[in-house]
Amino acid sequence: MEQFFKNLGESFYNNLIYQDRWLQLLEGLGLTLLIALFATLLGLFLGFLVAVVRSSYDMNIKGKHKKGFGVFLIKFLNVICNIYITVIRGTPVLIQVMIMYFIIFGEAQNGTLAAILSFGINSGAYVAEIVRSGIMSIDKGQFEASRSIGFNYSSTMIHIILPQALKNVLPALGNEFIVLLKETSVAGYAATHELTYVGNLIRSRTYEAFFPLISVAVIYLVIVIILSWLLKVFERRLRNSDH
Amino acid sequence: MITDKELLIKVDKLEKKFDDLEVLKGIDLEIDKGDVIVIIGASGSGKSTFLRCLNLLEEPTGGKIYFEGVDITDPKVDINLHRQKMGMVFQQFNLFPHMTVLKNMTLGPIKLLKQSKEEAEKNAMALLERVGLADRADAYPSQLSGGQKQRVAIVRALAMNPDVLLFDEPTSALDPEMVGEVLDVMKSLAKEGMTMAVVTHEMGFAREVGTQVIFIDEGVIVEQNEPNEFFENPQSPRLKDFLSKVL
Repeated sequence: MEQFFKNLGESFYNNLIYQDRWLQLLEGLGLTLLIALFATLLGLFLGFLVAVVRSSYDMNIKGKHKKGFGVFLIKFLNVICNIYITVIRGTPVLIQVMIMYFIIFGEAQNGTLAAILSFGINSGAYVAEIVRSGIMSIDKGQFEASRSIGFNYSSTMIHIILPQALKNVLPALGNEFIVLLKETSVAGYAATHELTYVGNLIRSRTYEAFFPLISVAVIYLVIVIILSWLLKVFERRLRNSDH
Repeated sequence: MITDKELLIKVDKLEKKFDDLEVLKGIDLEIDKGDVIVIIGASGSGKSTFLRCLNLLEEPTGGKIYFEGVDITDPKVDINLHRQKMGMVFQQFNLFPHMTVLKNMTLGPIKLLKQSKEEAEKNAMALLERVGLADRADAYPSQLSGGQKQRVAIVRALAMNPDVLLFDEPTSALDPEMVGEVLDVMKSLAKEGMTMAVVTHEMGFAREVGTQVIFIDEGVIVEQNEPNEFFENPQSPRLKDFLSKVL
């Protein structure tokens, strides 16, 4: 028993204290959070854009015989958006990261940027479908009331539809961000020293798997718990605003 | 009273098809300033579709609509500008649930009429005062009763200072005890000379404040008359039949 604890202590020291390895893990966490944050922002931006295009097409053009440049533009954008969603959802995110880093970036030094872009573009496809479902869930009467006051289509979206849609899909969006945070664990393939990569690096130095991998897992878990809590608070505040 | 009739809306052979279903089959109508046109008919007769065509919430598939002399069915016309002058009140109220009553009322005037926030709020409060809801200015729609919601919807439309108000079955979704409070607001508007087109099942309202009553059946205007004659002396068998069921 005594030997067991002695080994445990030694193992702990080797894997986390020696050569400031805990600090390396923290730095990895910082990079993970950085990638997740900017990828989330990019994903939100792309997702909203695509969702508005797709729902505009579904609500105004699909099955109707309309003509004009605006109609053509939306039709064209809708095709682009559909291809985007099909490709992104149809291929593994790891492959997307590697394509971004090795082919598009051509192994240029900036793996972090490659990771942010690929995770952002990846997340955008999922956010788009979430937001689109939110837009489609808003009662048609809301559009009509807004249009009858004299608001054009985009003002109606911005002032009336999107705020309500966002509130409805916030739990699903929160879930998407949590998934995204954990997905960044493959960013190491783009030579990014994020949390998982650092943990694995320590494992390969010490030839011990337990402490590096469990530490990494615990750190992800804590971050996700904090994120979930923040989202819950945010949701409650939004809900309070309209009882 | 307005004695010199001034034409506000002219509807010319209006048609509306949904795919193969012909809902409106050529409707002609003139609405003068100060008119209160009450539109009645069985469900599915096309009366709501007709009303919704007036501000192009439904796009007509044939015919023309002139509003203040402008053909608003012309694709080149900016319909948003004309809609600002055509208020609409819906059966399901359609208040914006994420905004307070005051915000519901001031959004249009601030963003579209470029009123200052103070000015828009002052106007809104005066309107709320008028319908007895000044104390609910900061409430959210979900905190209001049906009758209160509809009164807010009416003053939200009024806040844009429209030239005509369109009512699409404004009391049909209300509990019976709340119908009166909404009709009272509409009656007082009519007395002040507001031009209104009202789709409704409230025959008492039609008789009391209507200047013209229109009976639509199967997509055409079957009968049109001033209220007394309309109700006392209906001509067509279809209207007689309809009235015998609802009166």
